[in-house]
Amino acid sequence: MRAVLCRRYGPPDSLVLEDMPSPKPGRGEVVISMRAVGVSQANVLIVADNHPNKRALPFIPGGEAAGLIKEIGEGVTAFKPGDAVIGAGKDGGCAEEVLASVDRLYLLPEGMDFTQIVGAGSYATSLHALRDVARVKPGETVLILGAAGGVGLAAVDLAKQMGARVIACASSPEKLDLCRQYGADELINYDGEDLRGAIKKAGGDKGLDVVIDPVGGKYADPAVRGMGWGGRYVIIGFAGGFVPDLPLNLPLLKGCAVMGMSLHRLAQHDPQAAKALRADVIRLLAEGKIRPHICATYPLEHTADAMNDLRLRKVLGKVVVVAGGA
Amino acid sequence: MRAVLCKEFGPPTSADRVTIEDIPAPVPKPDEVVVSVKAAGISFPDVLLLQNKYQYTPALPFTPGSELSGIVKSVGMEVKGYKPGDAVIGKNKGCCAEEVAVPASKLWHLPAGVDFNAAAGFSGNYATSYYALRQRANLQPGETLLVLGASGGVGLAAVDLGRMMGARVIACASTAAKLAACKQAGADELINYEIEDIHVRAMELTGGKGVDVIYDPVGDRFAEPAARSMGWNGRYLIVGFAAGAIPKISFMLPFEKRCALMGVWSGGYTQRFPRESYDNITELVAMLAVGKIRPHISGIYPLENISEAFRALANREVIGKVVITTGK
Repeated sequence: MRAVLCRRYGPPDSLVLEDMPSPKPGRGEVVISMRAVGVSQANVLIVADNHPNKRALPFIPGGEAAGLIKEIGEGVTAFKPGDAVIGAGKDGGCAEEVLASVDRLYLLPEGMDFTQIVGAGSYATSLHALRDVARVKPGETVLILGAAGGVGLAAVDLAKQMGARVIACASSPEKLDLCRQYGADELINYDGEDLRGAIKKAGGDKGLDVVIDPVGGKYADPAVRGMGWGGRYVIIGFAGGFVPDLPLNLPLLKGCAVMGMSLHRLAQHDPQAAKALRADVIRLLAEGKIRPHICATYPLEHTADAMNDLRLRKVLGKVVVVAGGA
Repeated sequence: MRAVLCKEFGPPTSADRVTIEDIPAPVPKPDEVVVSVKAAGISFPDVLLLQNKYQYTPALPFTPGSELSGIVKSVGMEVKGYKPGDAVIGKNKGCCAEEVAVPASKLWHLPAGVDFNAAAGFSGNYATSYYALRQRANLQPGETLLVLGASGGVGLAAVDLGRMMGARVIACASTAAKLAACKQAGADELINYEIEDIHVRAMELTGGKGVDVIYDPVGDRFAEPAARSMGWNGRYLIVGFAAGAIPKISFMLPFEKRCALMGVWSGGYTQRFPRESYDNITELVAMLAVGKIRPHISGIYPLENISEAFRALANREVIGKVVITTGK
């Protein structure tokens, strides 16, 4: 079977496609014949060795894989060959065959589109951030940085459904237009204007109740300064390239909280919560309540192109890598 | 009646910074109660006020002191619920006087038998720490609470309240004497951060798990090692920067630990949520009355010796709280 390998850290073009032996499922494991796999900015940063989640070389990049079970290991009773599933591999998902543990494997409803469920992966992050960490209430003002990205756009979609007033921040009119289509009430192009002033204005007298920040970098400071009393700022990642510092007098005067989360860490500390979250997203997609925006699909051999699109900030919503005629 | 007056800003340790003078007794406005003061609480912000270094500039002359205990002397026309003879505590500006007019909304009944000195000096510090631990951190029994600056006014209140709420309390302070006061207030573990590494000790004491809640009224170089000692789902309470510099914490820390860096500004809470804020103190008075909390009063000074009290505060000799008594 073929797999994408990272043999040395660097830009996406340093990835190689190789023929490898098919993985053999051990006890409690299955092999998924991959049909679709998500790649994200985090994957790009991990390949560049510029992410808090370090991976030892060589490794297969990529996020969760969806596909059909090819083979099951000993002791596996809840799944059988031919089942449609999504799950996190032991390694990354950018391979024709993905070895996964049943602990983090989910059965998909009949007929669910593999590309769609992979594209909905960011909804788990945003749902957790909005519902469980920030606990958004109807009528609250939610500002979303990187709002046209995978996590950002999912956050726009979900925050609107929770009854919030949504302010979307992104770097181009095209990206902001997509945010508008997903229901954003106000748009801020942060590469074009005085961001601090624009955020302050959009927050009104009360200031922002919630900020969803998958970007960090230079946008964090003006966003923190836009917070209102009792606000919750949720750090989700650092796609902006650097990790900002927080001067502690800002949350003190605003009586607000700066919080953080990562699904990677959630799965380690609270596997039950991580599982429930995944089930929620599958249900929301099955019920047609969420609509992942997939801007491009690439075949496995063009995984580097998908990652380059992310690196060059060309992606709106999600890019998905596909195999086996998904 | 006698009152303490500051007529000119200047060094808080000079003996003539404040004077005691006879001034006309206050008359209650319709919504006010005049209290015959037994004891008044002073704290570090009063020291800053004397130097015009606090958040606002008081009009001169002014009377220091932000809380009091005493007996109701007279009530305004619209006041309900208080009558002459009632024992009360109150929060207001200008409490260091024999009689003080206080809006009824800033008074609480004091149950019989509660010590007037203890009652005069606890509500400010305890209100801050209670709001922090209860409304902000939602501290749970069995959780670990680490208190920085634990022998100061709000710090010692946090130690006492943490103990009362069933937490395991780790007190951090800079001398053996200060830590002894923390131990007496109910701290389970002690860290002397002049000689011990906060992070190393906190991780040892929690078996590598990290602490659930950190209470930080000091900031500066203590914040970062403390913040690195947070556990999963931890809450870091930012209360103040008494040690000087405003620290910065990397966004990576809350991201990795899923913890929250939470601002605690008690005054802002009182402005926005007067009802809840009032109820917090009502609960604290009830706890004081039955001995569930034990405020530490480190010095009791008669009104005429108030300069000595300010010197002790300015020189940071105070553990807990200082109270001024009128002899009434």
